[in-house]
Parts: sequence; C-alpha cells; structure tokens
Amino acid sequence: MSSDDPRAVSTKPTVNTQGPPEVPRRDVDRRSPHSARRASDRGNNRPLPASVLTPPTPPPPPHLDDYGAIVGRSQLDTLRYLAKEFKGKTIKMVNSTAVGGGVAEMLNRLVPLLSELEVHTNWEVITGGNDFFEITKAFHNALHGSPYQLTQAAKDIFLMYNEQNRRRMQFGEDMVVIHDPQPAALVLSRHQTPAHWVWRCHIDLSNPNPGVWEFLRPFVAEYDAAIFSSQSFTRQLPIPQYLFYPCIDPLSEKNKELPDSQVQQICDEFGIDRSRPIVTQVSRFDRLKDPVGVVQAYKLAKKYVDCQLVLAGGGASDDPEGAVVLQEVKEAAGNDPDIIILDLPPWCAVQINAIQRASTIIVQKSLKEGFGLTVTEALWKAKPTIAGAVGGIPNQIIHKLTGVLVHSVEGCAFQIRYLLTHPEFARSIGSSGREHVKENFLMTTNVKRWLLLFRILEQAKGQLSQAA
Amino acid sequence: MATAESIAEKPALRKPQKPFYFNTSEHLLRIGRQRASTLSELLQALQTVPDDCIFQHTFRTLQEHHFIRQGFSNDFAHWSLFACNEPALAEQFASVDIREFTAIEGLRRRMVEILDEFLQSHNMSGSRPAHEPFYFCAADIVVLPTAFCADTLKAFLDGLNQVSVHSIHHHFIEARLRLHRMSNDFSHWLEEEIGLREAADAIERIDIYANTMEGVRRQIARIVSQAMN
Repeated sequence: MSSDDPRAVSTKPTVNTQGPPEVPRRDVDRRSPHSARRASDRGNNRPLPASVLTPPTPPPPPHLDDYGAIVGRSQLDTLRYLAKEFKGKTIKMVNSTAVGGGVAEMLNRLVPLLSELEVHTNWEVITGGNDFFEITKAFHNALHGSPYQLTQAAKDIFLMYNEQNRRRMQFGEDMVVIHDPQPAALVLSRHQTPAHWVWRCHIDLSNPNPGVWEFLRPFVAEYDAAIFSSQSFTRQLPIPQYLFYPCIDPLSEKNKELPDSQVQQICDEFGIDRSRPIVTQVSRFDRLKDPVGVVQAYKLAKKYVDCQLVLAGGGASDDPEGAVVLQEVKEAAGNDPDIIILDLPPWCAVQINAIQRASTIIVQKSLKEGFGLTVTEALWKAKPTIAGAVGGIPNQIIHKLTGVLVHSVEGCAFQIRYLLTHPEFARSIGSSGREHVKENFLMTTNVKRWLLLFRILEQAKGQLSQAA
Repeated sequence: MATAESIAEKPALRKPQKPFYFNTSEHLLRIGRQRASTLSELLQALQTVPDDCIFQHTFRTLQEHHFIRQGFSNDFAHWSLFACNEPALAEQFASVDIREFTAIEGLRRRMVEILDEFLQSHNMSGSRPAHEPFYFCAADIVVLPTAFCADTLKAFLDGLNQVSVHSIHHHFIEARLRLHRMSNDFSHWLEEEIGLREAADAIERIDIYANTMEGVRRQIARIVSQAMN
C-alpha cells in the first residue's frame, strides 16, 4: 500500500505513543519460532517453505466498486444511498489487537470501506502490559464457560488499563464502537460526548462465568446498543441487541479467486497431494477448536476412505496457549505421513486460501466458537463443510443444506466418510453454502448493517427524518 | 404458455399512467427478549410476541434463505424439525403460505392454531426440551429507492432483471402486507396500469416455496416477455 494512498492512513490503527508500548505483547514468545526447520524433519514436522517465512507486502485494499462483480451494482447503490445521510459524520472503532484474529481482519476492511463512503472511521487499539492481556485472556476463557476465580487484583488491573486508555483517547466521533470485553470499560467516557456508544461482542456469552459476567455487565448496560454474532450469544440486557453476522472480504488475500497453478504450487510447497482427498481444518492451535478431536475423527474415517488431513493454524498475537496445544496435536498425530500440521505465521493468507481451495472437505470441529469465520471462508469457496454445532456456526451451516453439523468425534468421522463417497451431495451443499455467504456474510453486507444501525440510532435521537 | 387463440384475443397494451418505482427493503435484525425451549413455550410466545417478530420468522426468513433449492418455509417449521424432532409439526408449519395473509395477525393466528392442535394430540411433546432454544427476533426495516423506474413494459422488464433479489422480495412477497390485498406490486401494476390481467394472475400463482428468488425473478420475466410478444 502506497503511503500516498489516503486509505492507508485510515486503515492503520492509531495508537498514542505516549502510553504503553505501541504493540503491547508478552515479554517472551512461547510459540515455536517460524524459522526454517531441518530438512531431515518428516511426518508432521515438515519444514515450512521459505516463501512463508517473511511477511509479504500487503496489497492495497479494494475499492467499493471492486465488489460490484460479486454482489451486484444494486447492492453498492444501496450502500451509497445509506451513506449519503452520514457524510461528514465519524465513527471510532476500538479493539484489542491490530493483527491476528477475525476482528482485526474485519476492521482492516471495514474501516477503509466506510471511509470511502465518506463516513470517516478511526480505528484505535487499546494498549496494556502482559498482565492486562493475561487477565483478558482468562476473561475470554471464563466468558466461554471455563472455571475462573475472579480476584480483586484482576479487576483492578482490568480497570487500571481501561482507565489509562480512556484518558489518552479522544471520543469526538459521532458513534463509538467498542469491540469485545477488553476495552468495555471505556464506556465510562460516554457522558463526556454526545456520541452513540455501541458494544460489539464477538464472543459467545451463552454460558459465561457468572463472576466475570457480573463484573462486566454494568459496563455493557451503559451502551446504547449491543451487537452479537448469534442469537444464542446474548444475555438479558436493558439495551437493544442486534444481530450482526461477522463477515469475510471476498477480495482479500484469504478469499479472492486464485489460479489453479498457484494453488498447486502452494500445495507442492507443503507436501499436500492434490490427487488424493484432502480434509482440512484451519484454526488457531487452541483446545476450543478441538484439533486433537479432528485427528481422532480423521483416524476413524481413514479406516474406510483414503484421505489426508491438513491442520493449518497459528497463534493470534493475544493467545499464549498455542505452543502447548500444538504439541498435543503433534503427539496425537504421531508419525502418520498423511497428517500435515502447519504452524503458520499470521501473514499466510494466500497459503490458507490455496489450501482451502485445494481441499475436498473442510472441517471446523470447534467445541466453543465465536462465530467461526473459517467456516465462512470455506463456504465462500463452495467447499462442503463439516462443523461443530456451536456458537455462530449453526447460523452459517443449515444442516444438510449449506453444510453438515456434528456433535462428536464419531459424528465428524462419519460425515467425512459420507461426503467423500457422495460427491454430488457434497457439491450441492457447497454451492448452497456459497450462496448463503453471499446473502448474509460478506463485507458489503457488514457495511450495510453498520449504516443501518447508525441510521436507527440517529433516528432514535431525532437527528434524522423518519422517511426513507 | 401463449397459444394462437390467446394471442388473437390479447388486449392492446396501455401506456401506464403511473410508472413502476422499483424499491428495496433492507433489514437490521434485533434479537428479542423472548425465547422458547419447548413447544409449549413456543405456543405461549407466539401469542404474545410483537408483530415484527412473526414477520421476521415467516416473511423475512424467506429472503435470508432465498437461494435454497430444496425449499425453505419458515423458522417455526425449521425449528420444529431440527431442534424438536417433530417432523409432522414441521410439515404443518411449512404448509402455511404467507401469501394467503394480508396482515400479520391472521398469520399469527394460523401458526397458533397449528401448534395448539398439534399439542392437544401430542401431550408429551409440549414439555420436551428442544435441542436448541428458539430465539425470537425482529427486523428493523428501511425502505430505499433503487435506480430503476419503469414507464414502459420494456423498462419494467429491464428493471426486473437488474434489481436485487431483495427488491424482488419487497415487491413480490412483502407487498401484500403493504397493499392489504392478495396480490403483489408487480401483478398490481401490470393489471392496473398496463391491462395485463392474465400475466398478473400468472405471476401471482408462482410458487415461492418451490423456487429460489432468482427462479421467481426468471419466471416473472418470462411471463412479462411473453406478454410483450
């Protein structure tokens, strides 16, 4: 991206250099280094190709018109019409990380598209020390239902960093959107501004640790509206709750069309044999994604059908558990040469894209999930997809229509066998899956939802006429 | 299909006095406070949830799933089958054609009747916990203009082929709630402004449950093309 490109300015998150370090991370990186491995490594320890060892130059983000061929001109006209009312108005988006994970990926596209529609959007990332991110990771797991003893010290650290960020940030925008629990307490600034405050929750709150939720709930109740990724994620709140499905960008490196030659080249680099069926799961090495369960399902299915298993993942910059889980997966895989475990750096979007496109079946056997954008990516590529019936996945996979839902290792194994032996059915659900994404889970639909919400909040405040 | 007889009897096309404005509707989904974990709870909720919830789970859900070839009826049918394992009830819910209703209240009554009768003859089903709760949602609707406006039949056909499926849904399915009559915007305009009663009737008879919305568009376009020729 050229530094002269004005969109480059709005894309990058702004961080106050007077505060804590610009990219607050752990002191020690406990994950495996992304360096070339010995040539003698075999089995599930294939060395990474040199092409993935350094980050590629990011391409410029697409323009709004580039989406016309995918969603149709009429959808773009709708966006422009909705945005007309908000020219000159501004939005602030605040989250916890600039790289890695679905939220940052989504904001990387959403922010420039809104700005191109002349709804200028600022993106800021909260800063904090290792103690803050350890605690918020614990909160994340606790909100997903893990046991956790919330201490006063943890609360104090959470509040201290939120206060620190609150004091350095300006909130002069017309709408402030806070993503996920980490910055939730920034809402304490709301009474200093006339802005609409919206809490965008990307995680599953259906069964939260009561202590952690009761600590966070008073902050959430201060917002004008909350947004969840699935109906099942909601809590009883005194504010309106909207359903925003997360989305993918069909023109991103991870989702754009790739020439078959490039797909082949990348498969060759990773030792993936395209002449045989490929079953793939793309996810962080995280127990909630159940990669060991996927290995077990593969082994059960392999008794009946020939296939390879690809587990492609890495760690988001705020996930300290990845290295431990990766080791567990390698132990479960043993020396099976048909299990390919790829611990990829976070910049391997094209490689992930190619692996997904080369796959016969894609699996997302999560035990807990926010929304599951890897499922969306798979559906967009018209791949028959097997996924755990958790979190937001049932919103994407309508069983036997746009994919198949499973609840166990055995269920996953059976569906692998079934899809590999019934290619017409697999093709049918793959095709419907793609249409489902086109209707509900693309970035342009996400832009539209934000504009609709902005309109509704402004109307509620009496700042817009009611007529369309 | 046009026959020699019908061509000979075809009335002259009128120039419309009012153009057809292609609009579209966009929706933001709001998650309601009510949910049902059993069929008995669903029955109670069906009687009390706001109209826009009933609209969301019947009319709007067709738009969200417009591409499904195997037929998608409504969220109540889907939940009865996949969460409650009650295929008979699901079939009964699925048999409800939303185009038979010009107001939400009638549609709500029909759904309540179906479920009430089912539970009376299936005593044990009412209290059996569903695999997943049913979450009542509602749609905040915004109606928007499009770039297409037709003052001739040809322009109408052009617009029809270019607008989004959301626009098709708005004019073909949601219209009866707006018009409070058993018709749709396309048929209404073709009959009232152009004098194409047969084409209007043919369009009204298109089966939305056995077609995708793109399939509906193609059928409407075919009927209009035949009328033009």
